[in-house]
Amino acid sequence: MISFYRLRDPFSPYKVLIRHFAIVLQMARRDVVGRYRGSFFGLLWSFFNPLLMLAVYTFVFGLIFKSRWNDQVSGHFEFAVVLFAGLNINSMFAECANRAPTLIVENTNFVKKVVFPLETLSWSTLGSALFHLLVSTLVLLGFSLIVHGTVPWTIVYFPIVVAVFIPFVAGLIWLLSSLGVFLRDLKQAMGIITTMMMFLAPIFYPQTLIPEQYRNLLYLNPLTAIVNASRDALVWGRAPNWTVLGLYAVAAYLFAWGSFYWFERTRKGFADVL
Amino acid sequence: MSSEDLTISVNSLGKKYDIYGKPSDRLKQMIFPRVGRLLGRNGLAYYEEFWALRNVSFSVRRGETVGIIGRNGSGKSTLLQMICGTLHPSEGDIQTNGRIAALLELGAGFNPEFTGEENVYLSGLLYGIPEAELRKRFGSILSFADIGDFIRQPVKTYSSGMYVRLAFAIAAHVDADTLVVDEALSVGDVRFTQKCMRFMRDFQKRGTLLFVSHDTIAVTNLCDRAIWLDRGRMIVDGPTRSVVEQYLAEQHAADRSAVGESVLVRSGMSALSDIGAGGQRPAKKSSVDALVDVPIDIVDARIPILQDGGARNRVEVFEFDPETTGTEFGAGAATITDVKLLDFRGESSHMINGGEVVTLVIEATLASPLKAPIFGFYVKDRLGQRLFGDNTYLTYREHPMSANAEERLSAKFKFRMPILASGEYSIDVALATGSQEDHTHQHWIHDALTFKASDSTMRHGLVGIPMHSIEIQRAGA
Repeated sequence: MISFYRLRDPFSPYKVLIRHFAIVLQMARRDVVGRYRGSFFGLLWSFFNPLLMLAVYTFVFGLIFKSRWNDQVSGHFEFAVVLFAGLNINSMFAECANRAPTLIVENTNFVKKVVFPLETLSWSTLGSALFHLLVSTLVLLGFSLIVHGTVPWTIVYFPIVVAVFIPFVAGLIWLLSSLGVFLRDLKQAMGIITTMMMFLAPIFYPQTLIPEQYRNLLYLNPLTAIVNASRDALVWGRAPNWTVLGLYAVAAYLFAWGSFYWFERTRKGFADVL
Repeated sequence: MSSEDLTISVNSLGKKYDIYGKPSDRLKQMIFPRVGRLLGRNGLAYYEEFWALRNVSFSVRRGETVGIIGRNGSGKSTLLQMICGTLHPSEGDIQTNGRIAALLELGAGFNPEFTGEENVYLSGLLYGIPEAELRKRFGSILSFADIGDFIRQPVKTYSSGMYVRLAFAIAAHVDADTLVVDEALSVGDVRFTQKCMRFMRDFQKRGTLLFVSHDTIAVTNLCDRAIWLDRGRMIVDGPTRSVVEQYLAEQHAADRSAVGESVLVRSGMSALSDIGAGGQRPAKKSSVDALVDVPIDIVDARIPILQDGGARNRVEVFEFDPETTGTEFGAGAATITDVKLLDFRGESSHMINGGEVVTLVIEATLASPLKAPIFGFYVKDRLGQRLFGDNTYLTYREHPMSANAEERLSAKFKFRMPILASGEYSIDVALATGSQEDHTHQHWIHDALTFKASDSTMRHGLVGIPMHSIEIQRAGA
């Protein structure tokens, strides 16, 4: 099959979004609402979830471990805020990365029974994860308002940071969802890989804690740059490192293009093995 | 093929399935043969080939209704899925014009985890209908589907009937140019089936309909043209009646070879077992008593008006000619040699009247001795729809007669010919042995006799039955 999209066009991944926006929106909305269907609190759970996690972090790391981020930042609540800023990015990433391998496999109907634009599943999965990121970011800002009495003005940079991250995650979903159809082990592997990536990113510890010669190796983890940048914007009140972010943007953009290309070229094989 | 009139045009279409042992073999197939070619090694393959469909070509004009028949596994669904775009052809190509709404196999098209409502919106979006427009039509879809509060439940909790109701309701509301219906109606109840049939008949006037079914009666009834697929190949494409007849004859032959010598037709599949539905009634103790109980023949009270007003239902009967009958088949222990329709005087006539008592005579010569022969017939209308029929089974069940080789048998069915709508009719006749449920066709002739009705006052339904009396009374007077 020849792809509907002109794959040589580097903007083709985003044309999916324009062409099928209504479907992406419907699927994402259904995904968010559907998760809590039948529960008493419903959508409130997407608010409770980050709130309760934040409470646990504060208790465990602040009160029990009495952890300190560095010399400047001490205190139970401050550590929780810093930790939470990093974990939010990780949760969004992990949600997408863990669901991706089964995305096509679990929607066999969309492959075999209807004419469905499968490529939109990446965007709608990302859309629902972004919604949860938005809610937990609001919880974080509310919490830091209580702790610090103020939020830094640099939060205006946060959407830019997320925008840089989006092509990478979307691309990853295309890549993993396609591979997941053929390599069923991927589902198991991704659970481990996302946990490893969480610990190998400066989420529970500052990057400066790593010995000088290894410190920049951490940038091999695609989470590192984004975690640092969002923490800069949301917690430290400073502009992110634009050079790092700029390079990341270019890489993420190329990755999304390549992944989309791969997805469109392999999708004709989906029906054969589902 | 540039004509605007073609809705579907299929060109030497083929679908090959590569059967892979493991999903990962599919991935290897995408990568290694290419790498292999670069390294100068050809023919790396990780699969086995299976052609579900091959070399199928036809085109459908706007407004046409085409039936697709064939046994299970003949490639019908594969063909439809390719027309709808869910499957991609391995060779050949398909061109379609306009929006195609599909009612494919049960369960297709819905996400089982979604509620009915969500599926309505999602399907609508997939058909390219804006959400605002869908909101307007939602009430109408809901009332067509008539599944009540289940619309808010996940589709996985639906019964198969509800499933097809919802699917049909959606398909009926997307302004399709082409409607593809695959077996879907078989699970609905009578009322819903009628609703769907009404919709489809209405749809036929404005759109193209592709209808797939095992039910040859439904196909003959609905379609002017049929395509017969067998094991992925197209056998015939032509007028429905001739295609269906060939198909039935072939099926019969296939069944026959499957059980060895005899022609065994199981009930439900068989045409003859349907003949004379009265056979399902508990029979009275003696057939003689039963005859006595039959009330005096009812004559339509309007006979004088009908006969005098020049409105008589003239029926022109064409002679039985063994050379010009439709397809015939059978095990061959007997041969039907003559079929006649006699008028009320019992004389062979070319002209009879609807509403008159007539006698259908079927004569046969036996090639070998027969135990309990059953004669039967069907009267069919222009579309091949069976209007009525009967057989000799019940009458001779208690005291079956047997006949020797070279003997000639003659069966007579005396009945009042219904008043017929203008048009052409035909009679299928058959001679079988065995019982109503399990029998062997010795000889079946499609369209053994044809006749043509004209000048009919009949306007409502397929046949008119004698009205004993008709009156209007003043209530409460």
